[in-house]
Amino acid sequence: MSKGVHRFALVVAGATFILILAGAKVTSHDAGLATYDWPLSNGQVFPEMVGNLYYEHGHRLIAATVGFLTIVLAVYVQIRERRTWVKRLAWAALGMVIAQGLLGGLTVKLNLPLAVSSAHATLAQLFFLTTVSLAVFTSPSWISRSANLSEEGAGISIRTLGVVSLALILTQLVLGATLRHSTTWDHFLPTGLLVAHIVGAVIVSAGLTATIFAVMRRHKDEKFLTRPALVISGLLIIQLLLGLTAYITRRASPYGSQPLNPMISVTVAHVACGALVFAATIVLTLRAFRVLRAEESRQVGVLAPA
Amino acid sequence: MLSKHARLWLGLIAVLGLMSMASSCSKKPEGEAEGPAGTEYASKGDEGTIAGKISYNGTAPTPAKIDTSADANCAKKSPDLAGEEWVVKDGKVANTFVYIKEGTLADGKKITDLSFKAATAPAVLDQNGCHYKPHVLGVMVNQPISITNSDPTTHNVHFRPTKNPDWNQSQPNGAPALSHKLSVSEVLVPVKCDQHPWMRSFIGVMKHPFFAVSAEDGSFTISGVPPGKYTVVAWHEGAGSGTEKTMEVTVPAKGSATADFSFGATAELRGKPSSMPVVSAVEFPMMHK
Repeated sequence: MSKGVHRFALVVAGATFILILAGAKVTSHDAGLATYDWPLSNGQVFPEMVGNLYYEHGHRLIAATVGFLTIVLAVYVQIRERRTWVKRLAWAALGMVIAQGLLGGLTVKLNLPLAVSSAHATLAQLFFLTTVSLAVFTSPSWISRSANLSEEGAGISIRTLGVVSLALILTQLVLGATLRHSTTWDHFLPTGLLVAHIVGAVIVSAGLTATIFAVMRRHKDEKFLTRPALVISGLLIIQLLLGLTAYITRRASPYGSQPLNPMISVTVAHVACGALVFAATIVLTLRAFRVLRAEESRQVGVLAPA
Repeated sequence: MLSKHARLWLGLIAVLGLMSMASSCSKKPEGEAEGPAGTEYASKGDEGTIAGKISYNGTAPTPAKIDTSADANCAKKSPDLAGEEWVVKDGKVANTFVYIKEGTLADGKKITDLSFKAATAPAVLDQNGCHYKPHVLGVMVNQPISITNSDPTTHNVHFRPTKNPDWNQSQPNGAPALSHKLSVSEVLVPVKCDQHPWMRSFIGVMKHPFFAVSAEDGSFTISGVPPGKYTVVAWHEGAGSGTEKTMEVTVPAKGSATADFSFGATAELRGKPSSMPVVSAVEFPMMHK
């Protein structure tokens, strides 16, 4: 185990979160096409950072930094990591960030078509999840643990609840990304997508609540599981409040002359908190697979101890 | 690896997610380029005018001050820039696009069946003081639009039509004028600057020349109208896609028809009604102007 790899993975995950924040600011400021070209901005590597170009080009600079950090992480993992599947995951992360960069360029070149913009936003979250997973897999707590907790006869397993929760969150993220990119701040949000996203919030909340409840009831003394569960519960409450506030502020924005706070800050915070909920849930789910002993222990699969 | 139960739930979630996505997808309608269609109109010398005034009922909303601090060049040139959604002076409304939507000439021909020569002189849209001049512009199909940048900063001109193709260009200070044509009639094409999000303009694209934009005193005049009976529409921007008022007028030979329109502080003022009636209960009073 290399502590250096783990720490660097944490840095990459943190930088990716900042990139998600920067990307959300681009959308909320309606800056996605502040420059018509890519990868240069108005024909320059370093244009004058004024107006919305500050957000758009700033986002590109942070993205380039994250891309570079991911290259370093992938190489670092190859050198210091013994587990083949972790090495492959690091390469997969690199592939994702390259794809993400190309998608970003495509959105600009094609004038922000909904499908491409939504895919760009979704892949951002999945890439963040991958960097968080790499941090989990390289952590000392992961490496030192083994499958020593039983769930026999406890009902739906926490592993299943975690996977289902992740799928629900991903669906909700896709809906949210599509909703955000379906129109600009000076138009009302489309009703169908808005209703679907609100219903999705209810379903995600139910799934996460069931997961958290199962963890606290069955393994209340196991901090390896209860800590991420408690983090999820706190983030979920914040995210629901942010969602309500985002809706209220976004409803008013078409009556304004420009995108303004609090709409910008709240919608960006809503995106960021959604990413953190996703991340905390993957942490819990991965840890559940790590320490919970199934009746069929062969199901642990690639998540077995190194 | 996953139980049958889990796989069933995952499959259900995936299907519901895809159905939600599919319901939101709609193909943007693209009109075919409109060239001259029908008989070309030949003047008989008996044309008249449609004239009128656009007024505002009630207390006009106070224009919001624009925060131009994102670009120091804009803040310096236009420190007191205000929103142009409603430019109302002494109860009269500027920037209302008035046009003949349909109608029948005195000789029985429908105006939509006639073709009119496109104007060749370019209509000018200037970026000056970090706002568009004029705020509302009318052009004919395929009439050239010349876009100039009179500001010491880079602008990004983005036409966002629904029937015409999207068009997006950056224009640095000192760059030559850009030229663009819209080939499909459309009411109205929003124009925005992706660099300065408060900058907005609207372009009405017509197959015929019978349109006008109300001046600061609310007045407008549409000249050269063949005698006949017409549906006249007054369009004003608002939240969403704007508000329209309609009126039937009869233009006598060599005479004038009057078409006065009024907008006011009603639900119509905000454009299309709320798209979320089911959650109207959570609207707060502070959201209403």
